[in-house]
Amino acid sequence: MSKVQRVTHLYQFHKQNAKIVEFAGFQMPIWYKGIIPEHMAVRTHVGIFDITHMGRVFITGARSEVFLNHVITNDVSVLTPLSAQYSVMCNENGGIKDDFVTSRLEQEKFLMVYNAANREKDYQWLVQNAKTFNVKVEDVSDNIAMFAVQGPNAQPALQKIADADLSKIERFKCGWTKLAGVDGFVSRTGYTGEDGFEVFVWNTPLSQPENAVKVWNAILKAGEEFGIEPCGLGARDTLRLEAGMCLYGNDIDETITPLEAGLGFVVKLKKDSFIGKDALTKQKTEGIRKKRIGLRMLEKGPNPRPKQEVWKDSQKIGYVTSGTFSPLLECGIAMAYVGIEHATEGETVMVKVREDKLLKAEIVKFPLYDPTKYGYARQK
Amino acid sequence: MMRVLDYEIPDKLYYSKEHEWVSLEGREAIVGITDYAQKQLHEIVYAEVQKEGSEVKQFQTMGTVESVKSVSDVFSPVTGKITKVNKELSDSPELLNQDPYGKGWLARISLTDFKKDMEKLLTADQYADHIKTTET
Repeated sequence: MSKVQRVTHLYQFHKQNAKIVEFAGFQMPIWYKGIIPEHMAVRTHVGIFDITHMGRVFITGARSEVFLNHVITNDVSVLTPLSAQYSVMCNENGGIKDDFVTSRLEQEKFLMVYNAANREKDYQWLVQNAKTFNVKVEDVSDNIAMFAVQGPNAQPALQKIADADLSKIERFKCGWTKLAGVDGFVSRTGYTGEDGFEVFVWNTPLSQPENAVKVWNAILKAGEEFGIEPCGLGARDTLRLEAGMCLYGNDIDETITPLEAGLGFVVKLKKDSFIGKDALTKQKTEGIRKKRIGLRMLEKGPNPRPKQEVWKDSQKIGYVTSGTFSPLLECGIAMAYVGIEHATEGETVMVKVREDKLLKAEIVKFPLYDPTKYGYARQK
Repeated sequence: MMRVLDYEIPDKLYYSKEHEWVSLEGREAIVGITDYAQKQLHEIVYAEVQKEGSEVKQFQTMGTVESVKSVSDVFSPVTGKITKVNKELSDSPELLNQDPYGKGWLARISLTDFKKDMEKLLTADQYADHIKTTET
């Protein structure tokens, strides 16, 4: 397969202001000022991310609800129009094909937003499974720009350019609004653990980026007095890891089930049938053998990184899937899978950060930060 | 002091192609990573050098530096024995970003045969050319 390097509407801005890396075939900003200040801006003020590289499809038709409930594990029948829901879809073995957010735009129209790295795979999977349902699956990724505005000041910053009353849009709800005079759509969702919005600018193909650029610039300007920073994929990764959210390809993939990943809350086994239901029902009955956990390093030293081993009492008990330095906690943090008998909060384990070095880490619950001080549920 | 593109290159130091510097002090050398290296790594959050007393060989690993997202090896620009490591880096790895040629030094190494090491090191001028080729 030839690798075409794709860009988003904001490429000129990124090129001028950020260090650029290739991610899922896109030229994306990894940081502007730096991962640490961008991370902290989101935890304490507000940040804006270009996430146009993500995949987006519309699913429309009288049977779109039935179709979605067949292909994903969560139950979209509980969604009223202008509501959103996190979910996964699985293969027949219960392995995760992807995780994503589904929003119900209208009674018979849904929007799915999934991982950039899975754009082709997910679209093919949806189309292939939609054949018997008479629904339309339409890839609209290239026609929509998408930004995440995240942090405790996200609402007041975005409100300055929105004509809708954003305070009326609750968490995991959506709404139509003009943004700086441009037709837009927002959902109160995100990938940072903070309050915030994901902003969609419709009908702006790459060949006509003006509206996307206009909204981006307007948000940056409106956010100035609230301490806004443009943020890259680096901070996006450290923020989601502190919040305990999975990164597809690292923490979840087709060999991991949602039950093992701690995503049982999106698996509705009471639904009639859905792809992977039999395998997941069986696993639920028999019990899982490994589980995703959070780790906080107790010793100074190299930071935990993916693929490192987790040890306890001279035995290998699991492996790290994501690991980084936490800008907020100022120590190493990680996600790992360990045998279920070891997955107990408060237990001390060892991470093999180097061939000759094991460092102590504590098994901790997500989010890794104090949820009364940071994140969407913070006490004001 | 030379400035090439966005990078400072002090005149009196020797350099490796892997972006380490050497400052000669009698039979010892002080070594560190260059301004170019720290700017590429950005936001260094951890640094580790082999223990005092360790023997290091030219262009072989003598430690690691980590940014938030990545881990990189540091190669010794000279052959010899580590006599001192910069202990301040363990609490303040950001010194590598703030002052790569000063407070961000990595180690002192007592030299085995600097004449031999020197054959494979670059002068400031040569290093400047090396950066220009790397960047373009």
